[in-house]
Amino acid sequence: MASTSTSTLSRKLILKSSDGEKFEVDENVAMQSQTIKHMIEDLDDINSPIPVSIVTGTILSKVIEYCKKHATEDSDSDEQLKQWDKEYANNMDLNTLYYLLLAANYMEIKGLLELITQCVADMIKGKSPEEIRAHFNIKNDFTPQEEANIRNENPWAFEN
Amino acid sequence: MLFFLISCFSFIFVVKSLLPIKLTKMRLLSPFFWVELSKSLVCYIRKRGLVFGVFEATYLSPVRKIHTVEFVRVEDEGISVLDLPDLALDMILDRLSPADLCSLAGVCRELRGKCRSNHMWEKHMKSKWGRVIGNAALVKWHEHMALNKRRFSLGGSNNGGIIWNIFSLWPFSSLIRPKLIGRSELKGSLPPDSIMGWYLSLESGKFWFPAQVYNRENGHDGFVLSCYDAELSYNSKSDTFQARYTLHGRKTVEENISWSRIRAPPVDNPAYELHVSDCLDDLKPGDHLEIQWRRNREYPYGWWYGVVGHLDSCTRNEYHCICHDSDTVTLEFNQYAPDSRWRRMNVNRKNHREEGNEGDGFYGGIRKIYSEEEITIWKSLWPTKVLN
Repeated sequence: MASTSTSTLSRKLILKSSDGEKFEVDENVAMQSQTIKHMIEDLDDINSPIPVSIVTGTILSKVIEYCKKHATEDSDSDEQLKQWDKEYANNMDLNTLYYLLLAANYMEIKGLLELITQCVADMIKGKSPEEIRAHFNIKNDFTPQEEANIRNENPWAFEN
Repeated sequence: MLFFLISCFSFIFVVKSLLPIKLTKMRLLSPFFWVELSKSLVCYIRKRGLVFGVFEATYLSPVRKIHTVEFVRVEDEGISVLDLPDLALDMILDRLSPADLCSLAGVCRELRGKCRSNHMWEKHMKSKWGRVIGNAALVKWHEHMALNKRRFSLGGSNNGGIIWNIFSLWPFSSLIRPKLIGRSELKGSLPPDSIMGWYLSLESGKFWFPAQVYNRENGHDGFVLSCYDAELSYNSKSDTFQARYTLHGRKTVEENISWSRIRAPPVDNPAYELHVSDCLDDLKPGDHLEIQWRRNREYPYGWWYGVVGHLDSCTRNEYHCICHDSDTVTLEFNQYAPDSRWRRMNVNRKNHREEGNEGDGFYGGIRKIYSEEEITIWKSLWPTKVLN
């Protein structure tokens, strides 16, 4: 068991994105992803590229950036890491966030999934339905009558 | 036919709008059986109106998990929050406050279904109301719901019932249901068993729920270190409660009651009924307790805080205390002055029942307090001056 973990640190893996881009990463970076961890267990040849099926190169590079940071978290305090996470998420546009979320979900990277879901939740907070529709580009599929009913539903709640 | 094929392969194909992801490799004709839909991942592939939603699937093979489905983005027209996998969307919704869930429920049909579902509200219900909602409030709410349910079913807003039943036979009905709920609910109010409905009824103050209030009529010397049954209504603006106490058919109202002065009744005992004491044999000096007391027999009982003291005949020595062997238990109410008539009383361990008189009031059932939390609350209410 001990010999496995020492060799783990030095091994390199190649991740292949859905559009064919290849990334060489340290195994401990890739192991942040539970999905890849399981895939490695099934692999006979560690040197062959590991397909990260639904994730494009652009997104995968961002995922790897996150994993790298969090694989070496010892160097940073919790506070610094939180700050880094915040800046990392704030630099993404909405579409990138969605794809990152899909990637984090598929690759089972708990920390990244939590970070992005919190980031999207923060965008919803305090907004009216109209503001949410505009921000997230969601089509209003209620009839005018239904909308009027919805508006009258809870006028007393959460006014403050 | 299409559906037949789909269900054979445990695939979910959902007709939905567009997503810029396209299925490129899919070994449908694999030599193995599809056995597991391992993740509710990625979801809907949109292709101009007709949509295939495919989930990553795994099948049993000699080398355990093999990922067989690949997706490639073919166009970058952007995806919507609605295209996110259920798990991811649920994680986002889980981080929202009740107010934000309500806002989001007004955005579109799909979000409406999700934001109103019970599992989104259980956590909020528990964290905000769990401490003050007891059995009695639950029973009252159920009665209220039963009444509404009759109205609900008579009101004809359960259209979709047949569709529901059909879909309940469909293996992936849970994935399709939320949409139907969203559509059918629009015509009526929230269904009677909706936790969101209950939460909002409490939040709005519309629903008066039974609970107990410490130090009733705040500041009134006559109720210090007691806890009385009341009907309560919440005021979200001031984050306080309004209480109605019933006495002789007259209602007394108190406003601006803070959360810290309210509790769910620890025992299910109507205010006019004697509590059956089941702790008398267990009482020993130093124990904390609550005893029922009422001014006269027409009044409701309140719960009053006290401790078990030593008998006069006891040396009060830890090793030679005889109190536990005696049939008499001395109760002390140290909030009162030593010469106050309320300071001490004795009860009989073997056959305690309501005792007292019109002058001193009537002492009823006793409940021993085991929980440190409850003891701490009582101590926090301790008066600044000794009572007479």
